[in-house]
Amino acid sequence: MTTPPIVCDALGHEYAGGVLALKPTTLTIQPGEVLGVVGQNGSGKTTLVKHFNGLLRPTSGRLLINGEDARPRPVHDLARHVGYVFQNPNHQLFATTVEAELRFGPTNLGLTPETVAERVQQATSFFGIEKLLTSHPYRLAFPLRKLVAMASVYAMGPDVFVLDEPTTGQDHAGSNMVRKLIERLREQGKTVVIVSHDMALIAEVADRVLALWAAEVIASGSPRAIFAEDRVMQRTKLYPPQITQFARRWAPASTRPLPLTVAEAAAAVLGEER
Amino acid sequence: MAQHLPIPVVFVPRNSFFHRLHPVPKLIWAVGAIVMAFATRNPLVLLVLFVLGILFIAGAGVMRAYGRVMLVLFPISLSLIVFQALAPAFPQPWTPIAGFGPFTIYQEGIYSGLSLLLRTFAGSNFAVLLVLTTHPADLFTALQKFGVPHELNFMVSASLQLIPIVQREFQIVLSAQRSRGMRATGFGAAIPSMVPVFAGTIERVQQLAMSLESRAFGSKGAKTSLREVRASAKDVIFGLIGIVVTVAVTVLVLQYQAQLDWSKTPFMPDWVSVALVAVAALTFIAFTIALWWRASRE
Repeated sequence: MTTPPIVCDALGHEYAGGVLALKPTTLTIQPGEVLGVVGQNGSGKTTLVKHFNGLLRPTSGRLLINGEDARPRPVHDLARHVGYVFQNPNHQLFATTVEAELRFGPTNLGLTPETVAERVQQATSFFGIEKLLTSHPYRLAFPLRKLVAMASVYAMGPDVFVLDEPTTGQDHAGSNMVRKLIERLREQGKTVVIVSHDMALIAEVADRVLALWAAEVIASGSPRAIFAEDRVMQRTKLYPPQITQFARRWAPASTRPLPLTVAEAAAAVLGEER
Repeated sequence: MAQHLPIPVVFVPRNSFFHRLHPVPKLIWAVGAIVMAFATRNPLVLLVLFVLGILFIAGAGVMRAYGRVMLVLFPISLSLIVFQALAPAFPQPWTPIAGFGPFTIYQEGIYSGLSLLLRTFAGSNFAVLLVLTTHPADLFTALQKFGVPHELNFMVSASLQLIPIVQREFQIVLSAQRSRGMRATGFGAAIPSMVPVFAGTIERVQQLAMSLESRAFGSKGAKTSLREVRASAKDVIFGLIGIVVTVAVTVLVLQYQAQLDWSKTPFMPDWVSVALVAVAALTFIAFTIALWWRASRE
């Protein structure tokens, strides 16, 4: 059996000043899993995932990265296993060309120039940004800037990606691009943790959803199961994707699996008519 | 995040005499203290001023906030004593009092180091008191009554508000770059962390300017304030005392300048001077190592 990339063992976090941001949480993330983390602002989502690359350290319990205690390892070392893409790409882009931006991470890891060039090349082709390499990151439109930010993390070759609000501020095309990228990361066997308010995204790509409320994980399960649980939805004040809400009103007593996407709902309707 | 708390010099709400005091008398004391601190180098006069400031701060019940500021500033400032003792900012010849190997400690250096250290804190204590006990809005409302233009007040207060925002922004940027394998220290960290912070700040200020204009910032006429600041007799008296003390002390120390110049007077036993320099050096070195160690662990 392969080692889970991330294990939280009663991991809790209390900020200086006594604010309990995360109650002790036990969680195992499997290799290749796409995990959605949902909850209201201030529910502890970001606090939880900021532990995964050491930006925050547990104040109780512990965190295992690839089976090893993460405590003694600094962020720049954990970064080779866990890539964290921040919500706002402007917080990380600083170089004068996209290519230099992509080189920054792998160079920090101390890789040889050949390996760095190879990593940059891989990231460029994975994200399809060959034409942008010589552009100035600040001159790019927001969705492309976000793409460059993700590519710059991809170039470091982590096994786990933490994506903070990958679709916020994106138009329809941008969101679709993010979905495709997550699917392709999954195909490559990467583990992806998505923190998002975009329930349609979570419903579509996540294997498992973690719902947080008041610094605590209150539910964990498949999107279909979580979005069907009224208790969880009411407590977290979240709403399932529109199509799921529609389907529940339209056939509340249905025993069929709850549709999570328009395609699934359409298939259900057509199946009924046939 | 919590690892990098900025130096917290901000208003601390309490209900002390100093909190209820009008901002202007406090401002008079803050300016007066700086004038007095620069009028003399005599360590005893500066010490008295320093202790008075501490008493005021303790009386205002903001000792904890003051202590947190000092925790960072004091060890750094101790380097003044160390460097001055070894190389006084005084004309030669110097009077040696002790030597360790290549280092010699001079009487003038001890005098100069102590003066500079006490001057720094004697002068700034009252300004810190002002900031810790005065709601920023009250200060600006009071200044406006004295004819300081609203725009100028706003510029100052907006810049002050920007500091914590930029500090928070800087922490986020640092986290983002550390997530890309950057070590948080050293010259290599400068450009990757400063560029996004400055670009973001410029953008933020542009947006602020637009949102101000859209809320009629440039309109003509007097601006009103939600908070009212009234001056009572005790405010006037406290302010007048501040002026009298400042003028009297300044005149006196200038008049007795020759007697108060202790640069050639051994006012402390030699062993006290040596102990002082040793403690200052050790504290400063320990503090530097602690900072470096903490930064390297992140």
